[in-house]
Amino acid sequence: MARDRSLATTDYTGPLRRLLLAVLVIILGATFLLWRIDSPRVERFRAQVTDRLVPNFDWAMAPVTGTINLLRDFQSYQRLSEQNQELRSELRQMQAWKEAALQLEQENARLLDLNKVRLDPRLTFITGVVLADSGSPFRQSVLLNVGARDGLLDGWATMDGIGLVGRISGLGENTARVILLTDASSRIPATIQPSGQRAIVAGDNSAAPFIDFIESPDLVRPGDRVISSGDGGVFPAGLLIGQVAADPGGRLRVRLAADYERLKFLRVLRHYGTEAVTDTAQVIAPSGPLIPQDDILPDTPAVADE
Amino acid sequence: MSDLSPTRLWIMRAGFVLLAMVILFFQLLPLETTPRWFAGPNLLLAFACAWCLRRPDYVPMPILAVLFFLADLLLQRPPGLWALLALIGCENLKNQGRSLRDSNFLAEWISVTLIIIGIMLANRIILAIVLVDLPGWGLSLSEAGMTLLIYPLVVAVSHWLMGVRKMAPGEMDALGQRA
Repeated sequence: MARDRSLATTDYTGPLRRLLLAVLVIILGATFLLWRIDSPRVERFRAQVTDRLVPNFDWAMAPVTGTINLLRDFQSYQRLSEQNQELRSELRQMQAWKEAALQLEQENARLLDLNKVRLDPRLTFITGVVLADSGSPFRQSVLLNVGARDGLLDGWATMDGIGLVGRISGLGENTARVILLTDASSRIPATIQPSGQRAIVAGDNSAAPFIDFIESPDLVRPGDRVISSGDGGVFPAGLLIGQVAADPGGRLRVRLAADYERLKFLRVLRHYGTEAVTDTAQVIAPSGPLIPQDDILPDTPAVADE
Repeated sequence: MSDLSPTRLWIMRAGFVLLAMVILFFQLLPLETTPRWFAGPNLLLAFACAWCLRRPDYVPMPILAVLFFLADLLLQRPPGLWALLALIGCENLKNQGRSLRDSNFLAEWISVTLIIIGIMLANRIILAIVLVDLPGWGLSLSEAGMTLLIYPLVVAVSHWLMGVRKMAPGEMDALGQRA
């Protein structure tokens, strides 16, 4: 008897459930397809959802993170004495470096003064605190507590004290997501010094992103400095990324200068694009030696009238 | 008989939402900012499977769909795809729940294994079809493996700490349906 009734109820709820499931599946599938077709719009929606939700957890996140880190540090107290030894020897090396750095700083200041170089005054920064990470090992990103409200724009560079960390991608009103250089979708144009080779630093979900598209790899040696090149005008040039290192497979990778173990405070560099020179000779003189563009016949070279 | 009251039903539903939020909260804590070669268990999916098999009325479809989609959004996955697969998997488990009720834990574990592996594979296949960058096999496999390993623990926690138990035969659920 009981069996019969349960069958009856199944028959009654079955089609409804199936209908609901079908509707939900269609909605979710459509969202996925929409994301695949028109990613920026859906990503903006994602940023807005994150923006509404995550700052609400802020009051709890900081103390819980602090406590867990405290417990982790507690484990490291066991190794305290050996760490102390290491630090002492490192400190001795550092003192030598400090001396060298001070001398170089003075020399640099003198040279800048001699050349009357003005550093770009618009390259200022906003400092934000890391609210959350990406939450899964599949993506490498962090969420900052500064956003569109603070004047941030998509694509700006983010550094810790020393090196480049990533770029802003995904802006909410109060939060901004930073795609780290280690993320599989991160591609940054870079220059390798001192050889001046142009390359792309491409993340692949490992601690050291690899270097792609080098013209002549022979000129690049492990230990060379990798800095951002600013190609494409999206990214400021001259930011330190790290050092070249070769992995066991012989592939060139970047050992990042930024300390990815402790990303807490990040600087977002304000960058309004590199100004491109679009004028013709008027840059040199108001009534320049060259005749204006529209008077030149297409087949005459521009310098022919000199 | 308090087990059957609508109040308890809604408390448990709210409890599942709270549980999902706590899981997401701990995943989002900025503790790991360096890439890892392995992935932790997907606790949300493990809990959803365990609850679907025990008390399907505590985890109705709309709640599951919203939570899975939220997880997709917050954890930077392609939005919708994983949620869709996980939802289908959980509904499949709910249908199996009736027949698995009398069997032992091993049978349950095996069917959950099939569902989780299926979700992982389908996810990778669809991502490959629409040409999205795939995560490494190591990450996907370790996530599925860890989820399966943690599953007995999740079941134990649900059973003893949260009181999500299988319905005895003949017991009524909150809607007055016989189990």
